[in-house]
This record gives sequence, structure tokens and C-alpha cells, in this order.
Amino acid sequence: MFRSSRYREIRERLERDQPPARVAVSSYLLLGLVLGLIAGLIYTWLIAPRLFIEATPARLEERYQQEYIFLVSQSYARTDDWEAAERRLQALNDPALPERVALLFEDYLRRGAPAGQVHNLARLTERLGGESPALALFAPTPRRPQVTAVAAAAASVRQPTSTPSPQPTATPTATAPPTAVPTRTPLPTATPRLLYRLLSQERLCSAAGPQPLIAVEVVDADLQPLPGIEIIVTWQGGEDRFFTGFQPDQSAGYGDFTMDEGVSYAVRVAEGSPEISGLRLEPCSVAGGGYPGGWLLTFQNLVLAAPTPTPEGSGQ
Amino acid sequence: MFKVMRAVGWTGAGLLVGLGLALYIGWVAWPVQVTDITPELLDPVHRQEYTIMVADAYAVDGNLRAARRRLERVGGEAEEQWLIEVMVDAILAGRDEETVILPLVALARDLGVSYPAMTPYLPQLEENTGKGAAPDDVSE
Repeated sequence: MFRSSRYREIRERLERDQPPARVAVSSYLLLGLVLGLIAGLIYTWLIAPRLFIEATPARLEERYQQEYIFLVSQSYARTDDWEAAERRLQALNDPALPERVALLFEDYLRRGAPAGQVHNLARLTERLGGESPALALFAPTPRRPQVTAVAAAAASVRQPTSTPSPQPTATPTATAPPTAVPTRTPLPTATPRLLYRLLSQERLCSAAGPQPLIAVEVVDADLQPLPGIEIIVTWQGGEDRFFTGFQPDQSAGYGDFTMDEGVSYAVRVAEGSPEISGLRLEPCSVAGGGYPGGWLLTFQNLVLAAPTPTPEGSGQ
Repeated sequence: MFKVMRAVGWTGAGLLVGLGLALYIGWVAWPVQVTDITPELLDPVHRQEYTIMVADAYAVDGNLRAARRRLERVGGEAEEQWLIEVMVDAILAGRDEETVILPLVALARDLGVSYPAMTPYLPQLEENTGKGAAPDDVSE
């Protein structure tokens, strides 16, 4: 009986004491865990952080990212290596890269950067598909030297290709050096040949009211109006064409197209010209009336820039 | 005494586990994401690419002042040593001479750097010595 009551007493005491002991153990463990976690995070995040994991150009300060884009444009201008340029730009990890490069191009333009730098940025913007009203003026296509039919004809006069050419070294003397052998330098080809260039691009504003027009004036090499020239206007999901010369009260080389608000248009001469893109209806300045205004584009024909080649003159 | 030892033991064990967890979190799972770095802190691959582009830009615009400043940004205090390192790496990696090596050698030469690895490329650069006046650089 004594042993039994003593046993019960001990058992009750054990049952009473044991739970607090288990809680204490887990508390100590938890306390250590929290302290270790805090100390460890202070160490890894503040004292000795692994700072430069993936220190890609995307993490550069904004001004250095701009410089990085500028350097890419310069490098691309020098090497013409689009693959490298694209790879470098992708390192910026910017989904809105075309717009960003276009803004940088406009910024350089505003700050009066040297033409070469602006030109290179325009080229990069154009290649990325960025849009800017000024892009057409600086993108490479309008500035590229044009190879006209006249030039090709003139070249063909100098370098006959289809007829047998005199070979001064044909005699067996073998003393005369073959200096006069016509070289097989490839002739400048006319592909892709742009028959027109953009002569000017101006805002179309009027104090009298809105001017939601893309007005196109086409002139020849002597700046005389050219009627009957087909102009192509494209926009996302649409295309339209019109001809110059149907509004003689304006000019024989004039034609226009009515713009819709919020649509970005691209214009080119059907026979071949640089495409002028990013044309939107934009509000004019207060001095210009403050109304929405369009664009006046003047294209110049280059084929007639020199006397028309005559068949006789080709030497064929 | 036993209780104290046991408390210290459990706390120490928790501390070790916590530290290990924190090291994993802080260095692997969620390391510090640094932004707004300078070119000098780019990882080596991008740092080299940046330097090559600096040389390319110099080959295009001939602006030595701007090139030096950019090189200082990417190369730090030992910018000339860094340029040599990039140049030698490019030579050893057999990178394209025209688009990569020659611009680096030209930049090094015009910065007054002399290094044996440059020697074979110097004659090719002699023809391009007459550079015009450098335009102002608005990116500065």
C-alpha cells in the first residue's frame, strides 16, 4: 500500500513536471535558431554580402546604362556586327529597349551632340524598330549615297563587261606589264535603288484649325513639282495609296492623306524612297495655333539629277 | 547545473542551424541585389565587353579624353593595367583582329601604354594615325 501510494505520487509529480521541461528545450532551440538567423543575415546581407552576383549592365546606374547604349551604337557603327550589338543590348534586360534607345537618340539630338554620334544612335534605333519623328532625317537610308541609273550607265561606259576588251598583254612579247587589263571590279548595282530621297520633313500647323494631314510634295532634281507620283501610306493593320497632282491649286507635285488620332503612319514613294515612319498627329505649339497638326514631307527624285543617259552613250 | 548545460546545448544547436540557414538565405537564395553600380563593378565578362566598346567608340570618334574617362570608370584606378589585361585576353582568345584587337591596341598606344603584345599590331595602325579633332562628347 505504501509503495503503491508512493509510486502514484512520483508518477503524478513526473507528469506534472515533464511538459514544462519539453517546452523549455524547444524554447532554447528556437531562441538559438532566431539568434543564429539574425546574426547570419546581418553577416550575409550587411557585413559580407555577395554583392556582385549577376552584375550585368542591367544593374548599371542609369547614366552608365545610357553610356552603355551609346557605346553599343558606336561599336555597331564601326563593326556593323548586329549580332554583337544585339547581345550587348540584351544584357540590359529592358523590354522597352527600342523606345529607350529612341529617347536617347532624341536626347543626344536635343543636346547638340556631334552629327556622327546622333547618326549612329539613329541607326541603332532604326535597327531596333524604335520610332521617332526625327529618325528619318538621321537614319542611314536617306543619307546613303544613291546609285542612280545615270551613275550606273556612266560606270558601264567606263567598264564594258559584255564586249571583249582589248588585252594589251595578248601578244607573246610578255614584256609589257599587264597594267591596262580592265579590272573586274563589280559595277555599282542599282539594288536596292532609292529613286527618291527625303528632302525635308516639317510640321504642318495652322492657326485656322487642325491640320490632320500627311501632305507630300514630290519634286524632281531641279525642285520642280512632279505629278502622278504614287505615295504609299501604311499603319498598323492598314495601307492606302494616293497620287500627287490632283490638287493643282496646291502644287502639281502635291498630295495629301487625312490622319486619324493616335495612329502612327509610315510614308514612302512607291517607286522607291526611304520610309518615313512614326508620323503621328501631334498638337502644334501655341504660336502654331495649338491645334493638332500633321506633317509635310518633301521627296526629291534623284534619277533626273543628271542628264538622261542616251543609249548611244552606253557604248553597247 | 545539468539544466544549464542542456539549455546552452540546445541554444547552441539552434544558433548553428540558424546561422547555416542565414548563410543559405543571404548568399544563395536571396543574395543582395545591387543596382546602380558603376562599370567597374560589372562582372568580368561584361566589363571586358564594355572596355572593347570604349575602344570601338574611340576608333569611331577619336575622342581620347572621353575614352580615357570611360576607361577610368571601367578599369578603376589601374585603368591602363586593365586595358592591357583586356587586350591580352582578346589576343589569346583569338578574337577578331579588325573589330576587337586593333581598336584596343590603338587606344592603348594613344594612351601612352607600351606592352610587348601590342608590337605586331602597331604597323597596321600606322596608317590610321592622322585623326581629326575630336568632337565634343555630350555623353560626358
